[in-house]
Amino acid sequence: MKFTLVINGAPWSSPAAFSALKFAEAVLASGHEVYRLFFYQDGACNASAFCVPPQDEIDIPARWQSLIQSHDIDAVVCAASALKRGILDTAEAERYDKDGANLRPGFTVSGLGQFIDAAQQSDRVVSFVT
Amino acid sequence: MSITESFLIIATTSPYGSHQPRAALDMALTAAAFEQDVSIVFMDAAVLQLLKGQSTASGTLKNVGKMIPALTLYEVKSVYVHQPSATHYDLSDLDYVEDMEAIDDSRLKTLVEMSNHVMVF
Repeated sequence: MKFTLVINGAPWSSPAAFSALKFAEAVLASGHEVYRLFFYQDGACNASAFCVPPQDEIDIPARWQSLIQSHDIDAVVCAASALKRGILDTAEAERYDKDGANLRPGFTVSGLGQFIDAAQQSDRVVSFVT
Repeated sequence: MSITESFLIIATTSPYGSHQPRAALDMALTAAAFEQDVSIVFMDAAVLQLLKGQSTASGTLKNVGKMIPALTLYEVKSVYVHQPSATHYDLSDLDYVEDMEAIDDSRLKTLVEMSNHVMVF
């Protein structure tokens, strides 16, 4: 079955992000497919390469990156959500004249249309809100 | 890629307490722009988004009331107000920025059952 996961929570603000991460791992371990991860609203913060959680806490953004890269998952961050939260890839950092880009490798920034496409193409869309 | 799915967007929050009203409208308009079958329901405190005469002169958020008429203009198929919520806030047809179709709980239940995707904002 093809799953799309919508992640609405920042790594530190609610269990949403970690639940989604565990769910994605379980989807893949069960032989299903992740069609897309869509990081939306505060969920965009999962794509920051600049988060430094305390050493005794789980580094959720790093866990996402490793999952995405090892399974070659399409991981899209909503552009409007990302920009206003200071998550920028190199092109946007240049366009808005910012000193640094912080989008993690493995993630791409795109529009809400990618969510609509995922809804059309996936068997299940599961949202992780809180 | 011409699959048409039905999206039901349920707005539940007051107009100026967060960015959620704007996010709900953006989602509705985007789905409609991709030629999906989109409905939106205003329930709970979101019925206040429908009020005439909203002024945002002193705030930082855009006027939500002015965006409501854009929904049907940009092909959102159905715009509903949840009548029990409207009654709770003592609102009637005369209070809204435009004519709204009222639905009750059983109609809402049917809409949820019939939609491929339900998103709550």
